[in-house]
Amino acid sequence: MHHEIRKPYIFPARKNPSVFLLALISVLTGCIVALIILPYEFQLNQDADTFVEMVMQVLRLFLIPLVAVLMYFFLKEKYRVRQIHINADRLETLLKNLPGMAYRCFNRKNWPMDFVSEGCKALCGYDRSELEEQRVLWGSFTHPDEIEPVERSILEAVANDEPFEVEYRIITRDGDIKWVWERGCAVGVMNGETILEGLITDINDRKLAEQALMQAESYAKAVVDAAVEAVITTDDRGYIETSNRAAQKMFDYSGDMLTGRNILVLLPETYHEDYEEFVTHYLSTNESQMVGMGHEFTGKRRDNSEFPIHLSISKVQYESECKKYVFLVRDLSAQRAAEKEVREQREQLAHVDRLNTLGEMASVIAHEINQPLTAISMYAQSSLHLLDNDRISGPQKLRDALEKLIVQARRAGSVIERVQQMSRQQSCHSEKVDCNALIKDVHKLAEVEAHIRDIVITLKLSRLLPTIECDPVQIQQVILNLLRNGMESMKKAGFRNGNRIILRTSRTATGVKISVIDSGNGINDKTMEQIYKPFSTTKDTGMGMGLSISRSIIRAHGGQLEYINNSNNCGVTFYFTLPFRQQISNGS
Amino acid sequence: MSNSEQKVFIIDDDDAVRDSMSMLLETMGLPHQCYISADDFLDNYDGNQRGCLVLDIRMSGINGLELQQRLKDMNAFLPIIFITGHGDVPMAVEAMRQGAMDFLRKPIREQDLLERIQEALDYEKGIRDELREREESKRKLLTLTTRERDIFERVADGHANKVIALELGISERTVEVHRSQVMRKLEVRSLAQLVRIRLEMKNAID
Repeated sequence: MHHEIRKPYIFPARKNPSVFLLALISVLTGCIVALIILPYEFQLNQDADTFVEMVMQVLRLFLIPLVAVLMYFFLKEKYRVRQIHINADRLETLLKNLPGMAYRCFNRKNWPMDFVSEGCKALCGYDRSELEEQRVLWGSFTHPDEIEPVERSILEAVANDEPFEVEYRIITRDGDIKWVWERGCAVGVMNGETILEGLITDINDRKLAEQALMQAESYAKAVVDAAVEAVITTDDRGYIETSNRAAQKMFDYSGDMLTGRNILVLLPETYHEDYEEFVTHYLSTNESQMVGMGHEFTGKRRDNSEFPIHLSISKVQYESECKKYVFLVRDLSAQRAAEKEVREQREQLAHVDRLNTLGEMASVIAHEINQPLTAISMYAQSSLHLLDNDRISGPQKLRDALEKLIVQARRAGSVIERVQQMSRQQSCHSEKVDCNALIKDVHKLAEVEAHIRDIVITLKLSRLLPTIECDPVQIQQVILNLLRNGMESMKKAGFRNGNRIILRTSRTATGVKISVIDSGNGINDKTMEQIYKPFSTTKDTGMGMGLSISRSIIRAHGGQLEYINNSNNCGVTFYFTLPFRQQISNGS
Repeated sequence: MSNSEQKVFIIDDDDAVRDSMSMLLETMGLPHQCYISADDFLDNYDGNQRGCLVLDIRMSGINGLELQQRLKDMNAFLPIIFITGHGDVPMAVEAMRQGAMDFLRKPIREQDLLERIQEALDYEKGIRDELREREESKRKLLTLTTRERDIFERVADGHANKVIALELGISERTVEVHRSQVMRKLEVRSLAQLVRIRLEMKNAID
């Protein structure tokens, strides 16, 4: 492509003096010269011949305009040169003050410089002359890694007749690596070579700051991406701008699908109103500033399935206007599931606990059996009455009564079968249990009851306990039962030995020993004989089943429930040992 | 009329117990009515039913003790025989303290049940009769004139005719006339009956 060398752009000089003025001055000068020269010529001409006179005539005729024209060009040229000097000075100052280096160079390897401005010293440490005389070449101290891409950009821009703009590193005279920015364009062709002109400026500080920023940004992004919580940013109208990986996974969208959608797409429609209200309240009260504040919501996945979430919002405000929101979403499903499990376990325990006071369980069973027995007895009695008194319509009614009686007999049988099944099932359930954790659970269950009675339960737990194979619920029942007995006894003793009951675990040669040490009345010789007998009790309201059943449970676990009166007549200790290894048998 | 006949009201949430008891009472020729719960009974109760309740103390919904309290609050007089299970002793004690007629432990001995029911029905009948008599006396008393009433009170309190005549400033003869008038209006034949009405009246005022 052919280019004319464009004139360098020069600031417009002061207004040119008018041609008329120049001409006037020239004509006047011509006249003055003519006036000075002509009279002298006239004197000479007195002796001159016609030829000379004729020449002088011609001269006289042309001298004035000739001088005037010469004068005119002379002045004009004079003025032009002066103007050029002024302009060059100005350009020099201008280039000197540029934040960088202006240049003109040939677009060939290493870009030999034709002209550089003063800025080159500050930029690369080399002198202007060194560059202009091409003792050093620009390309020789451009960072080797950068030469190729820079060359490519320039070639491409030149080919498209466009200015180019590149950022690259140079190595200064001092050996420092410096980031520079260059913008230039091809200005023409000279001797078949493309000439480039442009400006190179130092952007090292900016670039370093930029790099630091980018690093910080990518660091932040890595953190956000690694977060378990979903992080979503939206504009002030709730349209999603970014989302992290956790968010995409949690709601089952790809990042592209989320971007540009309203955040509401992640919430079931029924909750939209709640959400708006929450956001308004949340942002107006600045609660978002408080750590840990947030609200529980229901989230909606792509497949419309719902799950519990915890949502907190913070507002990003800059330039005091443009608002963005950052949403932190935590998936509560797992937590909820865990909570539910704990709750269910609690409920199960609480249920067992209710049935427990093992005597009460017997009472429930008794009730279940008594119902059909009562009915049987009454059907039988009715039958007798029918036989005695109502022989006419009797047979049919009698048959009816007897059939019903049979049904009830079966019902009673099934109750017993169920009880057996239940105890069998319970025996089968065994798992590895940390006895200390088990005791702590019991403590939690019994704490309220103890508190009501003003009794303090103290735990003395050994740290060196192996896990034990047992049925935790059953063992808890036993401990609870022993605790209750102890507390009853202490109440009966009027707390004369204090209000402390101790749960202790310790390791023995064969297993883990669990003790319940009360400060009640202890056990006297008389009660000793019948302590494990079913239906014997020292309590006002009791079935006398607790210890008997407890002993069966411990036996089934391969242990033995025993007791010993504390010294100083200060209550009794019930204890049992759960062996390390044993097979849980199906009861006694 | 519903209130003329005594009935046994059986309230038990166990179908078999209710049905068997119903059959037993039927073979004994005792009128009865079954309810599945205390609510069921209360919904059908209009204050005029007479008889007694056989009530399981342990029921879902309103339990036996609560029903007893409700009926008490409603001033409904119906003797209650509680049926209790094993281990319900404290509840039974409470029921008795609240004025239950009796309680029977399951399994029930039929003879006991029938006896208690009979007792309860008799007791209820006695109370009802008494109440009715009292109502009757009150009605009759209202037919007396002021003078007759004065004389009735004095006679019943054991004053002699002569003393009464003197107190009221009338002749003994007049007192006698009034007295026979009182006897006729109150439909009594002896002084003793008169005294009883007077005593009932006093009790009622107290």
